[in-house]
Amino acid sequence: MEWANDGKSRGGVLAHLERLEIQVNRSRKNLEDLQRAQAIESALGTKIHKLRCLRDELRAEAKQRQARVKASTVNVEPDQTPEISEQEIAKRRKENVKAILQAYRFTGLSGKLTSRGVCVCISTAFEGNLLDSYFIDLVIQKPLRIHHHSIPVFIPLEEISAKYLQTNIQHFLFCLCEYLNAYAGRKYQADRLQSDFAAFLVGPLRRNSLCNLLSFTYKVEPRGQSFPFCARLLYKDLTTALPTDVTVTYQGTDALSSSWEEQRASHENLFFSKPLHQVFTSFARKGEKLDMSLVS
Amino acid sequence: MYQSDSEGWASSKDLRSHLGHLESELRFLSTLTGISIRNYSMKTEDLTNTEKKEKSIMKVLQRHRLSGNCRMITFQLEFQILEIQNKESLSSVITDLNIIMEPTEYSELSEFVSRAEERRDLLMFFRSLHFFVEWCEYRKRTFEHFKERSGPARRGVTSLQPVVCRDWEAETKRLHSRDRSQDQCTKEKYPAAVHLPEGAASSCMAVQSTCQPGFELVIVWRVQIDEEGKVLPKLDLLPKAPQQALKLDRNRVLETAPLSFRALLGTLGIEAALESLIKSLCTAGYD
Repeated sequence: MEWANDGKSRGGVLAHLERLEIQVNRSRKNLEDLQRAQAIESALGTKIHKLRCLRDELRAEAKQRQARVKASTVNVEPDQTPEISEQEIAKRRKENVKAILQAYRFTGLSGKLTSRGVCVCISTAFEGNLLDSYFIDLVIQKPLRIHHHSIPVFIPLEEISAKYLQTNIQHFLFCLCEYLNAYAGRKYQADRLQSDFAAFLVGPLRRNSLCNLLSFTYKVEPRGQSFPFCARLLYKDLTTALPTDVTVTYQGTDALSSSWEEQRASHENLFFSKPLHQVFTSFARKGEKLDMSLVS
Repeated sequence: MYQSDSEGWASSKDLRSHLGHLESELRFLSTLTGISIRNYSMKTEDLTNTEKKEKSIMKVLQRHRLSGNCRMITFQLEFQILEIQNKESLSSVITDLNIIMEPTEYSELSEFVSRAEERRDLLMFFRSLHFFVEWCEYRKRTFEHFKERSGPARRGVTSLQPVVCRDWEAETKRLHSRDRSQDQCTKEKYPAAVHLPEGAASSCMAVQSTCQPGFELVIVWRVQIDEEGKVLPKLDLLPKAPQQALKLDRNRVLETAPLSFRALLGTLGIEAALESLIKSLCTAGYD
């Protein structure tokens, strides 16, 4: 290894090394500075972003407040004349009265004055289900008479009006209300039986227009082995939605076993005490329970 | 349209006359139905979500508040109606019903109210309320009528004839076709002391012979509302007599009194039965 016979170079290597060392230190310092600056920059950037968001929020709030103040001042205009505020009161009262007139339908009886007298609207419902409404147009004269109406022909309107129309119109209307609501209830039960529990019926549901005579054949389990029973429901009292006469019979020649006889008797009781569709709902539920026991 | 200087004045007059018309319609309806609604408000909440919208099913929940009175009974109702509209039909169902009634002295009503709330049967509530109030008023008028026409007794007491009426249909007919003028004409006074133990709206009437104060007839008249909302009067007779009289009563008239009362009610109806009862208590003649 021959070093250059150079004073410069011998001192040069060390000096070179020194120079290199200084260079590295310098660049390291630069890098650190750069990194520090970058950190500061990003921190500042985040701060700026936060401050901008805050500024936007405050601006929005200020706007809202302004709008609120404006709105409240509009109602308290100093140059309001007394007549306008009276008008406002009358307007509000009118809206209130209109709403109350509409609300009368919830009592079962509502109406509108006509040139001849009044047109009364009778609403019907069954177990919370609002059903059809009927109207009756009365002419207020002596004697009071019915101009026209939408009461079905099988409701004994003539009978009821003969009894009460001339002596006590309130009683006449509530009596009619009773008949119509009972009819609506019976019809609802029959409709529900036909639509929701068709699977339980064997053959058609026979019914009259007044829905106070129903006869049908049914099974307790839609696809099971149970016997079909024949039911006949008669609703003698036209003001109720539950039957007055119930007969459940067994269609067949063999005598019924005691368990089936028990069932038959209990069914009769059920039809007496519960609405028709509820009786079948309980049949369906019992069937479900039976299924569950078979599965487990 | 009115010819006027300012548009404000013309529309205000229109508004007032329209309001007047509406208010008279309200008064008429209130008299016609016997039910007076004083306040009503409604809020709606749209429950339709996007899934339902696609199938064109709309669901709206209405919250109603209603208050008013039916003669002496005031009511406050809050109920909810769920309206579901699909392609074929619109169904409205009452999903919640809350009823507050006053006065609460009519104990027969509290059971009825809970039943109506349970069944959410708003219409039945109003219907039965109307009939109930009618019967209570009739009871009050009848009792007052007998009270007014009672006075000091002249003679002693005789046999009792109790009666109970089940034929409320016939009674209702009499109730509504009663000729008021008849009351004023008769000046006859019953020689018996009638008093209403519970005050004006009493459900019972006590009749005492003034000669024989040991004998007393208490007529209990309840107005009951059955499971289906039917309003029926139920009358019973409770006779009271001193021990000695019971011993002498070989024909067991006192014992069979309540049953006989029922029979009499069926034949004569409430008013005539009560009248004959009071008269028989005061007719002259000892054995």
